[in-house]
Formats: sequence, C-alpha cells, structure tokens
Amino acid sequence: MMTVAKRNILLYFRDKSALFFSLLAVIILVALYGTFLGNLISDSLPDFPAKKWLLLSWIFAGILAVTSVTTTLGAFGTLVEDRSTEAVLDFYASPIKRSSLFGGYVMSSIFVGLIMCLLVLLTANAVFFFSGDEMLTILQLLKVIGVISLSVISSSSMILLLVSFFKTVKAFAAASTVIGTLLGFLAGIYIPIGNLPAYLQTIIKFFPTSHSAALFRQILMEQPMKETFAQAPVSAKQEFLQDMGVFYEINGSLTSPMFSVLYLTGVAVLFSILAVVLLKRKRS
Amino acid sequence: MSKIIEVHHLCKSFGAVAAVKDVSFYVEEGSLFSFLGTNGAGKSTTISILLTLLKQDAGVVKVNGLTVGKEDEAIRNEIGVVFQQSILDPLLTVKENLDYRARLYKMTKEEKLAAIDRVADTVDISSIMKRRYGKLSGGQKRRVDIARALLHQPKILLLDEPTTGLDPQNRKQIWNTILQLQSETNMTVFLTTHYIEEAANSNFVVVMKEGEIIAKGTPHHLKSQYSADRLMIIAKSPAQLRSQLQTDKLVFTEEHSTFLIQLKKTTDAIVLLAKYEELINSFEVQKSSLDDVFIQIHNGKDDMHHDDCCEA
Repeated sequence: MMTVAKRNILLYFRDKSALFFSLLAVIILVALYGTFLGNLISDSLPDFPAKKWLLLSWIFAGILAVTSVTTTLGAFGTLVEDRSTEAVLDFYASPIKRSSLFGGYVMSSIFVGLIMCLLVLLTANAVFFFSGDEMLTILQLLKVIGVISLSVISSSSMILLLVSFFKTVKAFAAASTVIGTLLGFLAGIYIPIGNLPAYLQTIIKFFPTSHSAALFRQILMEQPMKETFAQAPVSAKQEFLQDMGVFYEINGSLTSPMFSVLYLTGVAVLFSILAVVLLKRKRS
Repeated sequence: MSKIIEVHHLCKSFGAVAAVKDVSFYVEEGSLFSFLGTNGAGKSTTISILLTLLKQDAGVVKVNGLTVGKEDEAIRNEIGVVFQQSILDPLLTVKENLDYRARLYKMTKEEKLAAIDRVADTVDISSIMKRRYGKLSGGQKRRVDIARALLHQPKILLLDEPTTGLDPQNRKQIWNTILQLQSETNMTVFLTTHYIEEAANSNFVVVMKEGEIIAKGTPHHLKSQYSADRLMIIAKSPAQLRSQLQTDKLVFTEEHSTFLIQLKKTTDAIVLLAKYEELINSFEVQKSSLDDVFIQIHNGKDDMHHDDCCEA
C-alpha cells in the first residue's frame, strides 16, 4: 500500500499541470477576493474592531476547506489516468491485493490533501504575521490540523466514489473544473451564506465541505471574534456568525462543532462503504 | 519437459458474446510458445485469465502447478508481463519506475537493488537509468518494459505484442534480447504478436479464431500442413510455359510473364527447372512463411480437433 501511495505522491508533485489545476479553484478564490469579492464583503459589513483580521481569517478558512477537496481530487487523477492508460493492469498482474492497491490511492490522496492544506495553513499564519495580526496559537494550530485531517479524509472518501465513474482523463478533468468552481458556492465560500436565498442555504447546510469550512472558521476566527464582539450584544454576534457560516441553523438550533465533526465522520464512513461496495461489484 | 501452463476446457463469455469457447492447450517449460489470432480471436481474454485479471466461466487453468482463481497471488510471482502498451510512469525516471515496481514483490532493499542492477544489465539499459521514461524512444521503452517484467525473476515471460510500432532495427534488438534470455535462463516465453514471422522461432504455435483454436503445431508442421514453397519463373515465352504447366497439371498463377508455381516439396524445383530450362529467363525459389500459414488458416481451412494439444 505504501509503495503505491509513495509512487502516486511523487507523480502528483511531478505533474506540474495537474498540480496547478488541483489548485485552480484556490487560485480563482484568491484572485476573486483580491480583486473585488473581499472589498464587496467588507463594504457590506459595518465597521467594527479587528474587521480586516476577522475577514482574513474567514477567507483562509474557506481556502482551507476548498484546498482539502480540490487537492485530494487532483491526487485521485493518478487513478483515473492509470485506468485510462491501462497502467493499472501492471499492478493487477503483480502480487498486491486490490484492497492494498486502492488503499494506496486513497492514502496518497489523503497525504497530498494534508500537505497542501498545511501549506495553506502556514501561508495563513505568515499573512497574519505580516499583517500585524496575532498568529494562531499552538492549540489552535493543532485543532486546525485535526479538522484538516477530518476534512481531507471525508473528501477523499467522497472522491473515491466519484472517480469510480470516470474512465477517461478528459472527463475527469472536466468534472474537476466544474467541482472546483461549484465548491466555492456550495460551501458558502465565495459569498457568505447569509446573503444567499433560503433554498441555497439549505443545500449548503447539508454539503459536507461547508461543515469543514464552518469548523475552520470557528478556530481561525476565534481570536478576532473576541476582539470584534467584546462590546457587542450577543444577538448581533449570533446573527453575524450565522450569516458568515461559522455555525449553521438547522431545525431552529445552531450546529455545534461536535455536530459538524460527526457529520464529516459519518460522510467519510458512508462514502467509504459505498465506494468499497461499488469497487467490489465492478471487480466481480 | 514439464508443462508450465495448462489450460483445460476454458470458457469465457461477456454477456451473450462467447469470447473463449472450450479452449485447451499447454505450454512446456523453457519453450517459446506463440499464441496467434486476429483481433477478437479470444487471445486477450485467455491471457487476462492466465494473468488472473479475469475469472473464467468454466475450465481449469494452471500456471506452474498453481490453479488460477485459487492461488492468484502466487501465480503473479511466476509471470512477468510485457504489455502491448508502455504502461510505466512517464514522469518517473527508469530507475524510479523499476524501484517502485520491485517493491511490489516484497524484496528487501538489497534484493531490490540487486534485481534492478541485474535487469538493467540483462536488457542493456544501464546508461538510461536516470532518464525519464516518457522521454525515451520506443525501442528504449520496450527494453525498460522487459526489464520491469524480469525484476522478480519470473518463470514465465508473457509478451503481448512486444514489438508493435517499433522499427525493424529495434524489433531485431528486442528479439535478440528475448531469445538470449530464453536460451540463457531457460525461461518460458509466451508470445502474442501481429508479426506472424516473429513466431517462426517458436517451439509451438497455437492459432485462435472466434474463441476457438483453429490450428496448432510447430512452425514447421504448420508450414507443411497449410502452405507450400513456390517457384517463381520469369518466362522467355509465357505462352509456351503456360501450355507446358497446364499439360503437367501444376498449380500456378500468372501475371504478365511471371509465373508462381506451387511446389509439393522444395526439391521439386530442381526437376521443374531442368525440365523448363529453355523457357526460363530467371527464377527464384520462395520459401513458404508463417504469414502464408496464417492467411491460409484464416481463409477458412479448419481441420483441427479441439482436444488437448501437444508438441509434435
């Protein structure tokens, strides 16, 4: 399993175009925020203390959520390519179990997701530092790494199921572009969830990546929120948290961090089972 | 010699399409075995079953005494495969490719390094070990593919159209390597090819068509059974030669002043040349080829029974 994983990771980082396209959604996101989206969101909010720090934290939380999906998706491109070029036959004809082989693909995807998210996290901390804001504490960093792991594992399980439907690299590349673009909307990252119509809000609340984004926001925005809402009424804080997708309201009550963690864990387990069943059925 | 591959009454269908119909044959250890047939003949399906990539519907397949479907992982240690397409990673160097593939065979680090050195030496790729596989020429890629197949010192080397797309010089080099390997290591070589003449060096040939074996034997046996040598004559007087050939009831074709006469045996040419000496401008004895055999067989001659085949 480790052999296949190591080989896939090496291939991912050697393939500069695949690397670029797996980060395309993130690049678009940064470009949108940099050009107009950041100002648009900032202008729609009243002035309050630590506003820039708070928004920066919100943006990085979104970037982390998107990265956890698009990079694992990009890493799974090796599986699709191996299938389309029939390179996978070389593994099938070797004394390696199918479960170990697919375990290798999953493991490499998780590893790539972790590395890329950690790079985003380091970048976020560097940006906070150079902006004169507080960097994340060790405890916060550990929490973020925990959420990154959960988010990446959950994404990997969903994508494993998804890639089983793709036979050509072209189709997979097209799907990746669509997914990368949609992701920003479906996770409430391009535009805060509070600015969207009710039906879209409902979709977002059930979309797993939006729970990753919420967990990232809860940790990254913790410090600036303390500063921002030190003097503000509780109702104003609650309204802001809901509008920005830090917590979601489901059935009249706000989701807790534990709810999002369990939701992501459930998604990971469910999609893993579905993927295994589908792969076994295809094998037979 | 013992049987290293045994196929008994193998059947495989895909939905309503029967790809392999009750096929039986065996391959002797250390032999060069050719498995021929046009596209859709059932070759790939049979090979996929041998390689444990597909499950058969019926029949028993044994590789070095191990049963396909029951001891698949052990069988994969016995076979090295050179696939039709180059399937190694273009972005990795030759050494990296061999390194990652060697790891699949649970070798220790020392064994792995020794295996890489050994195969690099065997197929003469030591000078290109640091180059990316994707940057190599077609012939170099094939040599690396063979090296990959030999990493675990398999008893059987399965070559699936190994020289397709290569120029004649590279084809010759690849074949020299294969034949040298076979003679030096007594490795069994199982070959499929579209270049029928490549099967001429085989110890045994099986020809498939529409899922069934339609011919089998040594290349010599097949040539004598399905084709004949020919005497080509460029005539001084075509009309006279035509008349003489018709009188002698010989089978021939004619184009302008060139006659192609079928020979029952090669030495008949001596008799005919002496007889028609006055009518001949120039001549050539053309040996029958496996290509002729293949074409003849696929044109419908089918007088084989489907019992277990054996070497002549």
